[in-house]
Order: sequence, then C-alpha cells, then structure tokens
Amino acid sequence: MKNIAKKIYLTLIFLLLYAPIATLIVLSFNNTKTRSKWGGFTGKWYLSLFHNQDIMNALYTTLIIALLSALIATVLGTAAAIGMQAMKSKIRTFLLGITNIPMLNADIVTGISLMLLFIAWRFTLGFSTILLAHITFNIPYVILSVLPKLKQTNKNIYEAALDLGASPVYAFYKVVFPDILPGVFSGFLLAFTMSLDDFVITHFTKGPGIDTLSTKIYSEVRKGIKPEMYALSTILFLTVLLLLILVNFTPDTQKEDKKKSRKITHIHKISSLIFKKAVPALMVIVITAGGIFYHSRNQMSTQNQVIVYNWGEYLDPDAVSMFEKETGIDVVYEEYETNEIMYPKVQSGAIAYDVVCPSDYMVQRMIENDLLAEINYNNIPNLEYIGDIYMEQSKQFDPENKYSIPYLWGTVGILYNKSMVDEPVDSWGILWDEKYEDNILMQDSVRDAFGVALKYLGYSLNSTDLDELEAAKKLLIAQKPLVQAYVIDQVRDKMIGNEAALGVIYSGEALYCQMENPDLEYVIPKEGSNLWIDSWVIPENARHKENAEKFINFLCRPDIAKMNFDYITYSIPNTAGRELIEDESVRNSTIAFPDPSQLTNCETFQFLGDENDTLYNQLWREVKSQ
Amino acid sequence: MKSRKLLTGPYLFWSVSFVIIPLFMIVYYGLTDKEGGFTLLNLARITTPENLKALGLSLLLSLGSTLICLLLAYPLAMILAEKKVRQSSFIVLIFILPMWMNFLLRTLAWQNLLEKNGVLNNILHFFHLPSLTIINTPYAIILGMVYNFLPFMVLPIYNVLVKIDRDVIFAARDLGANTIQTFTKIIFPLSLPGIISGITMVFVPSLTTFVISDLLGGSKILLIGNVIEQEFKQGSNWNTGSGLSLVLMIFIIASMALIAKYDKDGEGNAF
Repeated sequence: MKNIAKKIYLTLIFLLLYAPIATLIVLSFNNTKTRSKWGGFTGKWYLSLFHNQDIMNALYTTLIIALLSALIATVLGTAAAIGMQAMKSKIRTFLLGITNIPMLNADIVTGISLMLLFIAWRFTLGFSTILLAHITFNIPYVILSVLPKLKQTNKNIYEAALDLGASPVYAFYKVVFPDILPGVFSGFLLAFTMSLDDFVITHFTKGPGIDTLSTKIYSEVRKGIKPEMYALSTILFLTVLLLLILVNFTPDTQKEDKKKSRKITHIHKISSLIFKKAVPALMVIVITAGGIFYHSRNQMSTQNQVIVYNWGEYLDPDAVSMFEKETGIDVVYEEYETNEIMYPKVQSGAIAYDVVCPSDYMVQRMIENDLLAEINYNNIPNLEYIGDIYMEQSKQFDPENKYSIPYLWGTVGILYNKSMVDEPVDSWGILWDEKYEDNILMQDSVRDAFGVALKYLGYSLNSTDLDELEAAKKLLIAQKPLVQAYVIDQVRDKMIGNEAALGVIYSGEALYCQMENPDLEYVIPKEGSNLWIDSWVIPENARHKENAEKFINFLCRPDIAKMNFDYITYSIPNTAGRELIEDESVRNSTIAFPDPSQLTNCETFQFLGDENDTLYNQLWREVKSQ
Repeated sequence: MKSRKLLTGPYLFWSVSFVIIPLFMIVYYGLTDKEGGFTLLNLARITTPENLKALGLSLLLSLGSTLICLLLAYPLAMILAEKKVRQSSFIVLIFILPMWMNFLLRTLAWQNLLEKNGVLNNILHFFHLPSLTIINTPYAIILGMVYNFLPFMVLPIYNVLVKIDRDVIFAARDLGANTIQTFTKIIFPLSLPGIISGITMVFVPSLTTFVISDLLGGSKILLIGNVIEQEFKQGSNWNTGSGLSLVLMIFIIASMALIAKYDKDGEGNAF
C-alpha cells in the first residue's frame, strides 16, 4: 500500500515537472507558426533549424558559456568551500552571507550592477562580460552544494589519517574529497544548468551580435516563438536524457545470472568509458573549437561591418544575408523588445550601434538629446521609392527630415472575433463593455494603453494635461476587472487561439492573425488612434556610418521592401515595393494600407519630455497595481 | 588548517570585484538623484501605496510558494533518499533535466496548459469536469513559482537526507521510538540545514521574480520585481530602480540574518 502511494506521488510530481516539456515537444511538430493552433504533424522545423545561423550561433554561445562558467565556478567554489569550512564559524557565517548575495539578490539587480561595473571599467560588453557574470552567479551554487557535504564529513577519520602519517593534502584527497564529490558534481551540474537557463543577467551584460538561447527566445517573444526553437529544445532535452540513461544504466549484478551480468557489465563499462573519457574529451574539443571560433570572430569584427539594432523579428534574415553577399559588409545584428529598452543602451554609449530603428516619439527624443547623426541623403538614392506622404508624416518628429528614414508603419486598432462579438465594432468603447469581461486583451505598454483611453475620451494621445491623464487613468482602472491580460506580443497567439474576443493590436499583426483565423476582423476605432512610423536612424557615435547608409539604402530597394513585407506583414512606406506585392487582396488590404479617410483622427506619438514620461509611468503603475 | 583557509582567497577576490563593488554602484545610484546629488527619495518610493501593495503581494506569493515547495519536496526527498544510490542519483538528475528546456519556454508552455481552451481544460472537459480558470490569476503565478523552483527545494533536502547515518535511525527504533517519533526527533532535526538552504533557494527568487508574473499573470498582477524591472526598462530611471532594489536588499538581508540564526542551531546537530 505504502509503496503504491509513493509511486503515485512520484508520478504526480513528474507529471507536474514534465507536462510543459511534453507540450513543447508537441509544439515542435506543429505545422503552424502559432502556438495556439494545431496545424498537423511536421518535421520540417527540425530541418530548417540547421539552416538557421542565428539559432545555431546562440546555441553554441550558450553551451560554451555554460561549460566554461560552470567549470571555473566549480573550481573556485569548491576551493572556497573547503577554505570556509576550516574557518571560525563567525567568519564563515560572514562569508556565507557574501556568497548568498548573488543568489539572493534579484537577478535584475545583479545584472544591472554588473553592467554598471563593466561600463565603469570600460569593458566591451560581449562574450567575456557574459562569462564573468555567469561565473559570478554560479559560484554560490557550487559552494552551497559542497558545504553541506563538508559539514557531514567525519573530522575524526581525517584526523586518523593524519595520525597514521598521511600528509594533509593526501589525507584530504583520500578521505574528504570522495565524500564531497557528489556535492561538487551536483554543484557543477547546477551551475551548468543555471547558466544555461539564465536570462535576466545575460540580457544586461551581453553586447551586440551575441545571443544566448535565452536572450534569443526573449527577443522572439514579441512576435511569437519560432518553431525551430521548440525543435532545438526538444533535441537538447532528448540528448541529455539519452546521455543520462546511458551513464546511469544500473547493472544489478547480484540478482542477474552470470551470462547476462557479463553483458550488462559490458554496457556498464561502455557507459563509464563514455562518462569518464568521452565526455571530458568532448568538452575539451568544444572549448578549443569555441576559442578559435571566437578568436576569428573577434578579428573579423574589427573589419568591414555594420552593427544593426532592430526590433525583434523586424527584418527578413534572408535580406541580411543578401546584403552581406552583395556588399561584403558583415552585419552584426541585435534585437530589442521596446523603445524604452533600446534608448538607455544607445544613450549609455557602451555599444556603438550603426543603425537603429526607433519609433516616432523615440526618434524625436533621440534628436532632442543629440544622440543622432545627420544622414547623408546622397548616399541613399533609393529614398525616391519612399512615398512623399510618409516623409511628410515624419516631419512630426523629425521636422527637417534630416535624421530618419521611414521603415515600417501602421496603426493601432481593435482585433475582434466575429464568432464572439456580434455587434458592429467601431469604437474604443467596446473595450469597456461588461459583456466581454475576461475576454479583452490590452496592450502592456504605457503609451499604447493611455493612448486608447485618451482617444476614447476624445483627448489627444499626446496629452500632458493632468486632468485628462487622471481621467484616462480612472478609465483604465475601471477597465481592469474586464481585462483578461495585458500583453504585447501574445495578442496574436491568443486571438488566433480564440482565447479572447477583443484585443488591442498593431495593424501588422492583425494581417497575420486574419490569415491564420478568418473569424478575426480589424478596425480602427472612429475616435482615432495611433499612427506610428518606425524609422532607421544612425546614432551619433556610429563607427561605420557609410556602411550604415549602404544598409539603409539596401532596405529601401523595392524588391527588398517587398520581401520584408512578405516576411513580417507590417505596412511598408515603400510605394514601389507595395506595387510588387503579388496578392491583390493584400496589396489593397485596408489593414495594411488604410485609406487616408480612415486616419483622419489618428495621431503620431510625440516625445513629451522626461518629466511627463515619469508622470505617465507613475500613472500606469497606479493602474497596474490596482 | 591555515593553508586550507588560503583556498578561499581567489573566491574572495572574485566576490569583492564582481559582487561587492557592483553592489556599491547600486547603493550609489540608489542614494543619488539624476544630477548626482545625495537623496533618500529613491528609498522613500517604496512607501507609495502601489509599491507597498506590490511588495506585500510578492511576500504573500513567495511565502505561499515556498511553503508548497517544502510540503511537496520533503516527502519526495525522503522517498528518493530511500532508493539505492545509483538509481536515486538518476532520479535526482531527472529533477534538473527540465531546466535543459529554456526557462522562458517552459513557463510559456504553462500558458498552453492553463488557458481557457488549453490542454488541461480540454482534459477536464472530456471527463465532464468543471473547467479550471487560474491563468492570469495569482494562483497561476504560485504554480509557476512552485514549478520553476521545486528542484531547488528537493535537492538540498535530499543531499542532507542521504547523509543521515542509518544506524542512528535503527538505534532510535531499537530504543522504542515509533515512526513519527523517529521522524520528529531524528530525521527532521538532522535535515534542518537542507531545509533552510532549500527555503532560501526558493523564497528569494520567488520574491524577486518578474518573468513568471508577467507570463502567467497576464501582466495584471504587479510584483515588486515587476516594479523594479519597469523602473530600469520602461522608466529608464536607474536611480529609483536602484533605490527600490536597496529596499528589497534590506529585506533580503533581514531574512538572511534570521536564517543564519536558525542554521547555527542546525549546525550543532549536523556534526
């Protein structure tokens, strides 16, 4: 009875631990790009995975960092633990306190503090800074795994060994070390896996062009995870599982008959051979190869390149490889999730980006803070393909069209599910209709959320009037009980999966959603909305300005603009590129290319100054904390 | 013994360079304003109602998840500790194995499981059971915390339990202790260091997380981690963010001190 209860308990825990993993494995065989719809079985993601240079690079970086940081942390940590054990308990407690700091501190604080340090010390953010950071947060795991083992070692045996004439080192190696070895090993494993699993700290300490799987996934969250990522995770997971089974194959020699046991011992020998020889050898190979790889990469990086800092999933990777092939310029590509994440990174100057793609109000803010260089328009002949109306629009944030070149644009509106909403949708007001309680998805960003409320109240979405903002805040608080979730990226997946009836969404996403789920319809509410433009700019401290201009010029070419549109479905200001779109219904889609009459009440965001920014953030926090 | 102490040297150097000095940078930022002048305003920001509420909720959720983790992990560690060594080391590895799937992906996968039309509800529906709607509520966040941090509770407890001398238990039995007495008088006190290490490993990451509350709470629920994260990322106000982190650190240090006190008693038993 008791045994059965134990087994049931174990099974339940394993179900809890492995249900999400099973889900991810299933998703890796899903024949659609969205996670909320099953499109049939496919193995194609496993094939395309190996052609995806970005993911493979990220995987490689992740493994090298995990391995190196775990190894170094294990050596440092084990030595430290042994030393600490020999100390007086007061000093030890104090040291343990220090050890606990990186573990107990919030990841984000550790990350930020290290970033501040690296910048103060003028380290270039990159591979080495990630490694240093990972070692730092890995050591405590090793120490905390080794110390309990050390505490349980029997002092008397060690002293007996000394009495019997063993040297302290020998006695330690023979008596104490075998006892603590499981702790060292589990410390290494923990460190390795923690490094593998870390996101926040890496995010703050990494430089351009380098990504671990975590940061790669995070940059993909905005647009939905690429299915290749599920495939890669599945492969990783199954490999480790297989390795574990092999290593831990338990020969129970006593119970088996002789012949069988010989066979099993044989397997056991193989597995121990793999574990003792092959795995370390493999590690050495990986590290050396990695060293050479990074060395050559670093050499390359001093040459002809352009460092691009763009929104996640905001450019067809094929276009990048085409550019590299045509010009011989190396593209170092990095992604961000929001304007607000991008801004401090550019401002700090820690990394000299060459091309960045901020939104309208952020372009204005960067101009006002002297962060941008004037673009030499002679170097960008393809500018002629950009519609005049968009250059005119840009003057709202770049009054003389000196600093920015429009890249993509769109509106913000309501996406609704016709099978759940049977009344006509034409006003923001429907987002306050109690009928749709728990069926509404709101944007999780300050300006977008306040934009909706301000527009509904008939105010400008650039309002700085305290009364108007208070009213908008009250409205948002009143709406909160009706809201199912505040999201940025997941509107798409949730709407496709029929999880909600109404969602505030960017027009570019709406087009994709409609392709996946025909029940969905997009509308720009009559009160007006946000008309946004994301533009290419060149930071003041760019080191490869000419390459940056070549890059922008390349992206303004009609065929490239069209290729990009096919890939990300966001509206392009490239009129010649639009003409190339084959599908007529898409070319004339009012979602992608709304009629000017639909845009009469629309406004573009403006930068309102640092003080008003703080005010908005403060009010938004009050909404969120209700 | 003296030469052994020297082994701590490299680590000490490392800690000072990459732990202590960076922390002082946070302290510096936390106690200055944007112009660099001294101020306590950043610290005082914790007293605003919404920040206090976020802190309270974080405490509640992290305490809850720590308790649940402990209740789940202890019997589990005991069952595992009973198994033969090789086999159980395998089982222990099984607990770390999930971490080979990325943390963000695994947490995102819970959305698939818990959603209104999610896997779990489909199963419940199949058996004609009422559906479960905990996604975007604090319960989902607790589930996410327990899911993510359970291994950090199981492993230290297990590590201590396997080290307990069987003879001590047999002796207790011989002297007439029943199962419950053996547990309360022998096993539990001996495993205290593991429990405490486990509690710290679960409580603090739960207290400071922002990703789990973001992904499973639908961003409707603001924890103190989210507040700090927003100060750094959305508000790009590093000073306020640092100030709030300092408050959080004071809090963490207080709990560390409490734990250190407990651990001292536990240490006496462990030897």
